[in-house]
Amino acid sequence: MTDKPAISVQDLTKDFRVGLRGVKLRAVDHLTLSIPRGQVYGLLGPNGCGKSTTLKIVLGLVPATSGSFTLLGHDSASPEARARIGFLPEAPYFHRFLTGRELVRYCARLSGVAADRVDAATDEALELASMTEAGNRRVGTYSKGMLQRIGLAQAVVHDPELIVLDEPTAGVDPVGSAAIGKMIQAMRQRGKTIVLCSHLLGQVEQVCDRIAVMDRGRLVLEGHIDEVLAQRAVHQISVEGLTPAARQAAEEALSRHGAHVLKVDHPRQTLEDLFRRLVTGSRD
Amino acid sequence: MFSRIFWIARVTFLEALRQRFLAFLLLLAAAFILGSVPLRSIDFGHGELKFLADLGFGALFLFGSILAVVLPSQLLYGEIDNRTALTLLAKPVGRGEFLLGKFFGSWAVLGVFTFALTALIGIILLVREPDVVARAMALQVVPPEVSVLGLFEHALLQWLRLGIIVSVALLVGSLAQTFLYTVVVGSMAVLASQLVWIAQDTLANPEAVLSTVMRGALWLTTRIFPNLQGYNIGETLVLGQSTVLPGTVSSLSLSAAVYLVVILFLACTAFRRREI
Repeated sequence: MTDKPAISVQDLTKDFRVGLRGVKLRAVDHLTLSIPRGQVYGLLGPNGCGKSTTLKIVLGLVPATSGSFTLLGHDSASPEARARIGFLPEAPYFHRFLTGRELVRYCARLSGVAADRVDAATDEALELASMTEAGNRRVGTYSKGMLQRIGLAQAVVHDPELIVLDEPTAGVDPVGSAAIGKMIQAMRQRGKTIVLCSHLLGQVEQVCDRIAVMDRGRLVLEGHIDEVLAQRAVHQISVEGLTPAARQAAEEALSRHGAHVLKVDHPRQTLEDLFRRLVTGSRD
Repeated sequence: MFSRIFWIARVTFLEALRQRFLAFLLLLAAAFILGSVPLRSIDFGHGELKFLADLGFGALFLFGSILAVVLPSQLLYGEIDNRTALTLLAKPVGRGEFLLGKFFGSWAVLGVFTFALTALIGIILLVREPDVVARAMALQVVPPEVSVLGLFEHALLQWLRLGIIVSVALLVGSLAQTFLYTVVVGSMAVLASQLVWIAQDTLANPEAVLSTVMRGALWLTTRIFPNLQGYNIGETLVLGQSTVLPGTVSSLSLSAAVYLVVILFLACTAFRRREI
């Protein structure tokens, strides 16, 4: 069973009927996709491209118009499949009157965690999400970053094989976003399969093994992150202490071998790296 | 399965208890019942206890019905609109389990509402009873008697009746797309169920001249809508104003149980097809 992909989608189409006249709006258009196990998989695309709809269909929350799909080799409607997945929806909202710990316990019970394991599983999930201290506060008092983290805790409390994260860093500051990135890495090290929908391309590039790009409901690109990003015809050399004379000599040497220098400039750090170095911690 | 329904019901119950609407209706109904005490002299020729019981039971049903339509609709749409339903239904939670959890959580709140108001009505009746009995003795008429068991039976029947209304609201909510539509259609269904006795009486009347179509329509109405008016036997149960046929309470309870099972089955079936 483990050789089967985590998610398999075959020729999936979803049409919504909108307005009084029932005009057809195609959200997912003949999508075929296979997400392997044990990897972090990025599902990318602009707003309205069909990412979230695809995930909702696969999770059994929305019926497909046509096509077939499986979740961990099972029909997604089967409790067996859904007991092995964790889901963090986009902009999650939880019962405000519960404390974070109560919320995670509640989700543990619903996910089938045995009664004698609930407390330990809750503690582990809160720790993974760095929410142990804030666990006894009411969810209504949480910041956006904390809401995402408690959402992550409820998604992993039952130790699922597959974790689906829909925009887990939306509205979160860079420090919080980096913390969520670390959690994703930690879960990958535990052998989990993670499907990540995000607009933060820098983070996707850092954490994902494979990516798929969707546009207008169709798959436009799919592959290993290094393969799809690499420009095979161009090489990059980083040099320290390059004098004008050394540069001229290097360019002449390259030219003798038929190579052309396209660009020589100073590397830039990303604004996110700079921000994270200047700001030491989240205010959560 | 039962564990998951229990946990959803528990959280629904806790959430419902925090709704201002519940506190508002509970206070309004309590104020209405307490307000009947100083007005007891205007008893329209009926006995004082009957006047107090009439107003109390009326307030219980009126405000209870409003709560039974609005509360489950609000809780269901709250989960869907806030997308907490997405989180829960992605877990190994069946749509039916989710809806049944909402039902039992809402119904438990209505149980608190019903038994709290019944306790208030009971206290008022029991406090006034000695005075009324003394007056009846002085006038050498048969004194009325408040039955505590009857109060309990009446509360149980009202709770079942409100349970039917909750299930109707959830059925409409499973099919409808908006909260307002659910409340309007749910209220109309409650009104129709309150008036269905007219159709039953008309069908039972041998002198009524009805076309086949009309007779068929009335027959269908009596089969679709539960007769909620049939649960209005409070005075009889509590004050013994007339005789309750043996088995009436059990028969009404059984009828309510059947309606609950059928309506909840339909609601769960409809909710399974809904896009979240």
